[in-house]
Amino acid sequence: MIELTKIVKRYQEHEVLRGVSLTVDDGEVCVLLGPSGGGKSTLLRTINGLETFDSGKIRVGDVTLPATPGPERDKSLAIIRQRVGMVFQQFNLFPHRTVLQNVTEAPIHVLKQPRDVAVATARRLLERVGMLEKQDARPGSLSGGQQQRVAIARTLAMSPEAILFDEPTSALDPRTTAEVISVMTDLAAAGQRMIVVTHAMSFARTVAHQVHILHAGTIAESGPPLQIFEAPQTDITRSFLSEAAIA
Amino acid sequence: MTRAGASSSAFVSARIIARPPKQRLSRCVRQTLALACAAIQLAVVLLSTTAAADQTLDAIRQRGTLIWGADQEGGGPFVYPQSDDPTRLTGFEVELAELIAAHIGVKAQFAQGQWDKLPDVMDRGDIDIVLNGYEWTPNRAQRYGTSIPYYIYELQLLGRVGDESLTSWEDLRNPLDGRPRKVSVLGGTAAQDYIEKEGEGKIELALFDGATDAMEATELGLSSIDANLQDLPVWTFYSEGFTRLRPIGSPVGRGYYVALTRKADTDLLKAVNEAILKALQDGSLHQILSRYRMWNETQMARGLETNASGGFVGSFISGADVGEKRVDGQESSFEQTSGWRVIWQRGGLLIDAAGMTVLLSVTAMPLAVLIGLAIALSRLYGPGWLRFPAACYVELVRGTPLVLQLYLIYFLLPKLLDTMLPGSGLTINAFTAAVMGLAINYSAYEAEIYRGGIQSIPKGQMEAAVSLGMSKALALRRVIVPQATRLVLPPMTNDFIALFKDTAVCSVITVVELSKMYYIQARSAGAIVELGLLTALLYMAMSYPLSLVTNRLEKNLSQERRS
Ligand SMILES: Nc1ncnc2c1ncn2[C@@H]1O[C@H](COP(=O)(O)OP(=O)(O)OP(=O)(O)O)[C@@H](O)[C@H]1O
Ligand SMILES: [Mg+2]
Repeated sequence: MIELTKIVKRYQEHEVLRGVSLTVDDGEVCVLLGPSGGGKSTLLRTINGLETFDSGKIRVGDVTLPATPGPERDKSLAIIRQRVGMVFQQFNLFPHRTVLQNVTEAPIHVLKQPRDVAVATARRLLERVGMLEKQDARPGSLSGGQQQRVAIARTLAMSPEAILFDEPTSALDPRTTAEVISVMTDLAAAGQRMIVVTHAMSFARTVAHQVHILHAGTIAESGPPLQIFEAPQTDITRSFLSEAAIA
Repeated sequence: MTRAGASSSAFVSARIIARPPKQRLSRCVRQTLALACAAIQLAVVLLSTTAAADQTLDAIRQRGTLIWGADQEGGGPFVYPQSDDPTRLTGFEVELAELIAAHIGVKAQFAQGQWDKLPDVMDRGDIDIVLNGYEWTPNRAQRYGTSIPYYIYELQLLGRVGDESLTSWEDLRNPLDGRPRKVSVLGGTAAQDYIEKEGEGKIELALFDGATDAMEATELGLSSIDANLQDLPVWTFYSEGFTRLRPIGSPVGRGYYVALTRKADTDLLKAVNEAILKALQDGSLHQILSRYRMWNETQMARGLETNASGGFVGSFISGADVGEKRVDGQESSFEQTSGWRVIWQRGGLLIDAAGMTVLLSVTAMPLAVLIGLAIALSRLYGPGWLRFPAACYVELVRGTPLVLQLYLIYFLLPKLLDTMLPGSGLTINAFTAAVMGLAINYSAYEAEIYRGGIQSIPKGQMEAAVSLGMSKALALRRVIVPQATRLVLPPMTNDFIALFKDTAVCSVITVVELSKMYYIQARSAGAIVELGLLTALLYMAMSYPLSLVTNRLEKNLSQERRS
């Protein structure tokens, strides 16, 4: 279980998160929606410690993440980052390594898996995301969609309890977007817990268990997709959905 | 006399520093440097312990060698590579050293050092005596043990053959067409002092690093130089090589060449004095000097010598000695060699010295890169308390000249070690000091290159790595540094080429590498052009492959980025 309680995050005077509380249960697919600048990325990045926060509480399973830098936080982060993976909008594959090496890198050097075990797992995961043929290619020679699928395999190789997706398809064209969405849908079907920031409404509509509308640093509305899309309770949700429909 | 050059810039040996008209920048830098060196010297003196006082002579006997320091670059007739076998040394000081060593009962062992640094090298303990045309001055006598003179030198004014506007010292003091006359001298020598004192401000100076350079520039009339004031023995030795120069007036400015010992080594000094005195009395000094055409009437003017009991021994030419002294063997004077012959004869020595240049470079550069990486990482990712010192290191090292750093490491560090860890016996040899100096100097530049490279790796790479559970250190090692290294390789290869050439500076701490060997050989053979071309060729042969590598790396990188 991932539990955020009253998270506040400021950039100098600017309060980006204003007391956000959120719970993601095991096996749950949670989608964060909201207008640009609403704080979605920031929220996601506080969970695995890429951003600090100013007050509130983050709990991942039995580990609590302190807000401010220090040895306590480092210790918690070391555990949390092995439990919670992240997939980025810009993929962030390691360009100096092959596809296969990208996937085996962390299992070998963080989890200390034997190389042959890590390679076998990596091949299976690349197969799963449809990228096994490209195992010896360099990321630079792949399309965006292919890179993102490798990035997903790389994250899966750590067997994370949850995966954070920050707009995984925003840098992609519609065809490759479909490839990645299909991989994510398969993952969800297999019971992978994830928190997804996306503009892909169809994914939110069909795959999410819970949808949260994040607006100006607060959660405007939460609920199952049926409620959010068919019977929105707040004006903020309504206006966001209508703008998203035009876009 | 022989004042060798701290010649870091390669092949232009005639480097003229005219004054007073405009103080040139290089002069300014030099003075600052000299000041800094003086400060260090002072520190060295203050740190000097007076231990090991009289044990030196015993140590020499035990060792079986008397290590004497001189600079071959000064050339004939002092110490210079033999013209028919440049791997061997000759010169009247070589013979004198052998004579002194024999008196002590040991063998003479030569140690090369830059002329103006020889006393420092002796202070460091690397050599026992300095025997290289050092003039007696009250200052020197206070600071070092100074032997009785082994030669009375004079200065000879040289003008151009056929230059009727300059036929006497008087002409020199009179401006020609409203312009003061200009005289070339070796910087920092008695000749310079003499012109400054006797010229009454009416004579302009052009300072040189090498005796033959000064004569050559005068012969060619470069920079409107009218005359050269030269040590007489140098002139007699080289006169055949400079047929368009002629002596003007009789020799002036008499002074004494003395051997130097450390102040505390009084037993050694006594032994040196005995040896010289004996050579004076039995005529062997006369013989040595004659062989190098250095014998003259002036040498007879001596009468200051005392015997062991302190009594006056009279003129050292005893009755039997007066008159034509028979010289056994050949007289030695300057023999110019040129063309393919000199390349054939001395090329091997230059190639050997190029080996030293390569060795220095390939040892220092990897060290520089490693230190640079450590500094760059400390600045970017280190704990707060480390970032500031790391930044200071870069600024300090980049802000001071390499020659000063070398000097510090070679001369001051051993003293510091000795003071901090007395009796540890830790010493730093010249090669180690040179590698350390080069590595430290270049590490500052490599640190900045690495810092730039690391900073240009997208932030997402570090985020992706830590998101996968890597520690920062692991992420740096596996993800950031490998990528940054590919980026910095081309500029670092460039620096490697620069370092190749900077190794030339190491001659200030007695390391003989390619350019020092060039100066030594070119001056003694008078083949500035031939050996210069060969030296340039050798440098090119070493750096051109690296240029190719740089180009290749750059091309690969830009291709990689495009895809
Ligand atoms: N490093 C930063 N320094 C200052 N302000 C920042 C920083 N990062 C984000 N912000 C601000 O915080 C707010 C929330 O940004 P965030 O990226 O979380 O929004 P978002 O909901 O992910 O938007 P988008 O849909 O455009 O990705 C924005 O106003 C942004 O300008
Ligand atoms: Mg965002």
